[in-house]
Amino acid sequence: MRIMITTTASTSTDADVSLARLLRLASPALPVGAYSYSQALEWAVESGTVHDAATAENWIADVLAVSIVRCEAPVWLRLHAACAANDPQAYARWNEFFLAARETVELRAETVQMGRSLVALLARAGELPETSRALLAMLDEPVFPAAFACAASAWRIAPRAGLTAYLFSWAENQAIAAVKLVPLGQSAAQDILARVIAALPGALDQAFAIEDEAIGSLAFGLAIASCRHETQYSRLFRS
Amino acid sequence: MSQACAAKPLGWEARLGLRFERAGGRTVLADRRHSGPLVVQKALYPEGDAVCHAVIVHPPGGIAGGDRLEIEAALDPGAHALITTPGATRWYRTSGPEAAQTVKLRVAAGATLEWLPQETIFFEGCRARYRIEFDVEPGGRLLAWEFACLGRVRTSERFASGEAFQSLSLKTGGRVHWTERGRIVAGNSALGSSVGLGGHSVFGTLLASAPGLDAGLAAACREPRPALGEGAVTLLPYALVARFLGPSAESARDYFSALWRILRPALLRLEGTEPRIWRT
Repeated sequence: MRIMITTTASTSTDADVSLARLLRLASPALPVGAYSYSQALEWAVESGTVHDAATAENWIADVLAVSIVRCEAPVWLRLHAACAANDPQAYARWNEFFLAARETVELRAETVQMGRSLVALLARAGELPETSRALLAMLDEPVFPAAFACAASAWRIAPRAGLTAYLFSWAENQAIAAVKLVPLGQSAAQDILARVIAALPGALDQAFAIEDEAIGSLAFGLAIASCRHETQYSRLFRS
Repeated sequence: MSQACAAKPLGWEARLGLRFERAGGRTVLADRRHSGPLVVQKALYPEGDAVCHAVIVHPPGGIAGGDRLEIEAALDPGAHALITTPGATRWYRTSGPEAAQTVKLRVAAGATLEWLPQETIFFEGCRARYRIEFDVEPGGRLLAWEFACLGRVRTSERFASGEAFQSLSLKTGGRVHWTERGRIVAGNSALGSSVGLGGHSVFGTLLASAPGLDAGLAAACREPRPALGEGAVTLLPYALVARFLGPSAESARDYFSALWRILRPALLRLEGTEPRIWRT
């Protein structure tokens, strides 16, 4: 009986720390510069595609369904699995794939900047085991999902929970960008976030189901919007 | 597995292997191997000896379920080839197995490849797998495009059923520097979404990778706009990429030709004179 209590207490302490670490990774206060990127939402507003809460929600939900679920999310899972298996070749290959699949120079620069910032942050806090630090150090240009997935794996966060947090932080950042750009009130943004959260389980199921060969999004509309953002005259965001 | 072994192969198996080399001032088609219905009838020199134009012909005129087509071309140092097709590549409706075409193009340092095929048409009900891999050594030059129609655009046929997977990738020294790939599935929300294909029936990508790409050239490439549809350009570390979404293959070809007429003189020091076969 006593052993059981001890075991339970110890397990829940680990779980408590894991949960807190996951919340920290997903927090908008994580200093990796996420707030400075709109991922072409700024152009979608400029062009009139997004002009109110409903069209902002459509855009964000579609970026999740058309682009992220078919590329970034399944790549995140493979990066996480490569860390869990301590497989440097697979880790480097999926990092390279994600970089190569960035549609535009702004989307590429965004993930590289955020990835590098998170790697620096993780090194500074000294919370990662040596094997994880070695994986991160091996990459010239660690992408953001590679750094995030590596931390999640090192902290024994299950892939589904880790990816949920990753997608939540993305969705929240998009909602905050919509508040500034459309503009929207805070409550309208929370309504969008609530509905995107409701779509996450389905998105996660799809991300888990996709095979290596099928990964990729053909998000031409997003790519063209991101290209247009590069030359947008007046802008608040870096992507 | 047992099913695949039991069934007789239903489609054509066709292979084409080409090698271009520089002999004196001339690019020659040094090797031409083929099996099955996939051929280059003649090496053409409409621009003089330096540039060899090769037209890849697929006599059946379309790709049906179960067909397996493989095209490989290697460009040795100093060679310059422009490869095109005499008409659209048609992927027909099938109730049978998937059809596949795989294209592997290798460009040595100092060699130049222009891969400028006419459009791909994914017919309603097709099951297509199309992969193109560009392997360009440092110092090699590539200008390439691919554009595809979903359904027959001149008719009212829509892409109400069928599935196509398309993959383009650019490698250098074993590393993938750029890729664009994914599945197009009839009925999927990505076809209508403004994030995806935006309800357009034609999508296309132009890729340029060569020494001399810079911000000034990217700016020049932002000037032309498609007559119909949308086009946009980005300059990535290893390639300039332009994309098109619109209602017709003609509009895609006109847009990419306009970019090619800017890129060809800047990167290859050659006039952008369109191969006559594009207008026949």
